[in-house]
Amino acid sequence: MFKKILIANRGEIALRVIRTCKELGIPTVAVYSEADRDSLHVVFADEAVCIGPPPSNQSYLKIPSILSAAQITGADAIHPGYGFLAENAEFSDICAESNIKFIGPSGDSIRRMGDKAFAKETMKKVGVPVVPGSEGVVRDVEEAKKIAADIGYPVMLKATAGGGGKGMRIVFEECEIEKAFQSAGNESNAAFGNADIYLEKYIQNPRHVEIQVIGDQFGNYYQYGERDCSIQRRHQKLIEESPSPFLTSEIREKMGNAALLGVKSVNYEGVGTVEFLVDKDHNFFFIEMNTRIQVEHPVTEMVRNIDLVKNQILVAAGRPIEDYPQEPRGHAIEFRINAEDPDNNFRPSPGKIEYLHFPGGFGIRIDSHIYNEYFIPPYYDSLIAKMIVWGTDRPHAIRRARRALEEFRLEGVKTTIPFHQKVLENENFIAGNFDTSFIDQHYK
Amino acid sequence: MDINLLKKLIKLVEGSGITDFSVQEGDLKVRISKNPDKSSHIYMQPSPNYGIYQTPPATQLADPGQSMTPAEAPAIQDQLKFYEVKSPIVGTFYRAPSPDADPYIQIGDSVSPGSVLCIVEAMKLMNEIECDATGKVVKILVENATPVEYNQPLFLIETV
Repeated sequence: MFKKILIANRGEIALRVIRTCKELGIPTVAVYSEADRDSLHVVFADEAVCIGPPPSNQSYLKIPSILSAAQITGADAIHPGYGFLAENAEFSDICAESNIKFIGPSGDSIRRMGDKAFAKETMKKVGVPVVPGSEGVVRDVEEAKKIAADIGYPVMLKATAGGGGKGMRIVFEECEIEKAFQSAGNESNAAFGNADIYLEKYIQNPRHVEIQVIGDQFGNYYQYGERDCSIQRRHQKLIEESPSPFLTSEIREKMGNAALLGVKSVNYEGVGTVEFLVDKDHNFFFIEMNTRIQVEHPVTEMVRNIDLVKNQILVAAGRPIEDYPQEPRGHAIEFRINAEDPDNNFRPSPGKIEYLHFPGGFGIRIDSHIYNEYFIPPYYDSLIAKMIVWGTDRPHAIRRARRALEEFRLEGVKTTIPFHQKVLENENFIAGNFDTSFIDQHYK
Repeated sequence: MDINLLKKLIKLVEGSGITDFSVQEGDLKVRISKNPDKSSHIYMQPSPNYGIYQTPPATQLADPGQSMTPAEAPAIQDQLKFYEVKSPIVGTFYRAPSPDADPYIQIGDSVSPGSVLCIVEAMKLMNEIECDATGKVVKILVENATPVEYNQPLFLIETV
């Protein structure tokens, strides 16, 4: 087992990883920018190293600083969390070269599966249904125009290195495609340092359903069922749940098997998520694979009784997993609490938390790094807490969520709490009748 | 005297047992005295150049209280003219370019912008850390071959 794990991340996920490490008896190292000096992950870890000034590209994204911090503390493994360097193939390679275990897949795996254009091709080869589109990266606008004409508008331009909704543009007509191509590339370059774009058919009003998988170092692959993440705003998830209210058990099984087929074909090691779009006729199409632990992983943990981070670390250490797939139990819903103003276009609302009281009680799990009078820095993403609700079934989870959100007090900054409360009163949401257009339709 | 330095001085006095303190730099004399109820009063006698500072009513004198010890006096004087050289990277601090070589500098050496003070090694790369002030090395704040983090103070330079 690892002697010491450095967590190359911040905020709630850094805490999440540190907590499991403590339970496993593994010492931890936190890294932090100057803006995070008072952050909880710095306090919770056994050691902490300041790695740079506030901007991410000078701290959390700066590979030499992170590796140097691992060196001086003697860490023999690095957990990248999600975002930042979690899906940076070069970082994975550099860790390997420096004899530090990157807790995630190899650089090669990341390149193949994390690179969305290539991932599609890989899945297609083993017979997993994919969304029609370009074969890999689109070289230029002319090629994009040609492919779009072939498969028919509307089409979606997607950043190959993208995630979290960045670098995506929907194009309804040919006259829009040139501008969309430019801006998608620029946005992707700014967020991920890579401007490559691929193209696919835009499936209108789909559901976004993803399958959690794990591959160990012995050639075993497991899937832990689905998460329905259709409640999204600008391709950023806000609410995720499991089981999906839309899937039948037949489709669920087919999708699970398809996900396993895909990861087997690339000898995938670690935790990962295979994402699909499901249309109104229950046809499902692979869109991308995320080669990391995801924000919404707790939803699966609550319903499938598994510590995903623990198993992720075990697998990375060359051990077998400890939590095998079980039948799902009950229903879990995660609500992302962002420091954003839902009444003003969800614009970020950093600043000081004047008063904080988390909800509690049976079936409420809070994953968060904030505390009373914490100052939310403006340099990073706006996720400040995740509230995961578990109930015996979906209606119970919804009732419990309403109860919990009533208890939740967070003053000083704007949050998405009022937004979630509105959604929980929406009859379509309650009926399980929603797709990725839900927020656009009901809550501009 | 700039406002940040003044703020530092006030903080230092407030946080210490000192009740009466004064210091002079050129034409500017600053006196800070603390009431038993812990609030500080600042009396300044600016030279004509420092017109932006006003002289508050200089009525209240502090109780004799605790006089300043010799150790504390230099500590506050320090803030006025000592420059901290900080590490720009994470790594391991070395005084010399190699184990058997002489250290780059010793206490008492004169330095100027560009003088190499030490090495911070990161990922097998030896990064020479240059001074960005002019003066004399008065303190070495880190032990040889120990880890340093971003912005960790390495040297104190007495500036001229």
